[in-house]
Amino acid sequence: MRGPPPRHPDEPREQLPPVEGFISDAVELIPGVRVVYPNQGVCAVVGIEEKDISGQKLQLVRMRREEDGAAVLVPRNKVPAIGLRRVATGGQIQGVFHYLAAQFDDPELDWKIRHRDNADRLIAGGVLGLAEVVKGLHSLSRLRPLPAKEREQYDNARHLLVHEVAVALGVSAGLAEDYIDYALMPPVGVKFDVPPPPAPVMLPSRPRHRRPAAEEEGDLGDLGLGDLGIDLDLVEGAEKPEVAEEVAEEGVEGVEAAKAPEGEAEGEAEPPAEEVADEAPEKARAARTKPVKKAAPAKARKPAKKADKAVEKPSPKEKPSKKAVAKAAPKRGGKKK
Amino acid sequence: MIRVVTLDDLDPADLAFLTRNLYRAFGLGTEAAGRKPMPRGVEGKDGRVDAVALLREAPAVRTFADDKVLYITTAPLSIPPGPLGEPPCWGFAEYGKNRALVSTARLPGRGTSEASVEAFRRRLAREAIHAVGHLWDLHHCVDGRCAMHPSWSPSLPASPEMDLCAFCREKSERKIRLAKT
Repeated sequence: MRGPPPRHPDEPREQLPPVEGFISDAVELIPGVRVVYPNQGVCAVVGIEEKDISGQKLQLVRMRREEDGAAVLVPRNKVPAIGLRRVATGGQIQGVFHYLAAQFDDPELDWKIRHRDNADRLIAGGVLGLAEVVKGLHSLSRLRPLPAKEREQYDNARHLLVHEVAVALGVSAGLAEDYIDYALMPPVGVKFDVPPPPAPVMLPSRPRHRRPAAEEEGDLGDLGLGDLGIDLDLVEGAEKPEVAEEVAEEGVEGVEAAKAPEGEAEGEAEPPAEEVADEAPEKARAARTKPVKKAAPAKARKPAKKADKAVEKPSPKEKPSKKAVAKAAPKRGGKKK
Repeated sequence: MIRVVTLDDLDPADLAFLTRNLYRAFGLGTEAAGRKPMPRGVEGKDGRVDAVALLREAPAVRTFADDKVLYITTAPLSIPPGPLGEPPCWGFAEYGKNRALVSTARLPGRGTSEASVEAFRRRLAREAIHAVGHLWDLHHCVDGRCAMHPSWSPSLPASPEMDLCAFCREKSERKIRLAKT
């Protein structure tokens, strides 16, 4: 429950232990209890009410954001998924201050990773995650000015941290901010003798946003023709095998297959052949099940052989042929005109 | 509207310089609202004044909605110590509310020379903008040249600017636009 929502539907979400004080059951939300809503701040539970929305009766937990009194309504069954947690305890706040007062922490210099990680920490990192964002961006601001987006993120993180520390310590927000900045940028001559800071917040591993080129090209064959009942083999002029060859020529996997022993190359090449078989309509597939299985290695060998050539010698002949094909296309168009 | 209330004597020329610069920083009308007596019972054992108690006990000034009141005192201020000790106190503000306090005790001596008076006024204006900025929901800023940078920070220049950085200025303008009046 702790990690951020999965970015890619195919990737399984890594399960990490929830942050300290995580509220997994709406039963804990008794009127008067103060909770922290991720990215919103400290809220006080007002009560549970039932509302009729689109013909459905929903039980909603009503909360009031302490900062400005805004009303927050959360479906009761979605409480575990939101990431609500209790206000930080004294021990956690001590950890936060030890973290803030610790020596300069090398900031992440890749802005994409940094921005993403910081967003995750704000949502699912608990109070220590907030401190990490503030400390990290503050450290970075000493090296170079923060970009506008990150300046805003820094301000948001600071806002959430100040209010949570204020509530946890029972002081005003102004005092809490002074305490935080006293730890973050102590005056000249002041050194804190604090124990080592707590372990950083664990973030779930991220799915790759970009799939390998070969995988993306492999998807080109999946045009949904099978669903339409079109079999490329039966269509005149369809150049299905050539497409597969070109992919193998240019794709990285084809070269790797050439380097690998034959058996391995076959093993790797089989799944695409099965995918092609899956595209065909069910009737045709039933009729051609056996030939396809036999033909699959043969189809896979062709690209492997071509890839062999590509590795051994740079094929100068192939390039002109491609150009010739490219030149031929406008001629056809010219005739039509 | 920003109303400036003095709890101790302050030179009228310094006060005029201050109101001018508060107006320049926030684009809000600023006026001196006279002098009020220092509340009793806010002094600690060490002779410093508890900033939180002083702001709570400070005499009320007639205000309208969204008006901000800035109190100026010459007494040294203290705030309750935090988890890592007591931060030095130049002023104190009720974050997002309408009362702030600034002390001149930590400012450079006013002196009599033109340069020292100018330095004193500029620093007072900077601290006043800082305190009023908190009233408009501004947090401390990472930019050492911004008036919202913490007053005790080692990266604060010797003669700090009395202007807000672009981010803080935009944020304060947004808050002021959204204000009721």
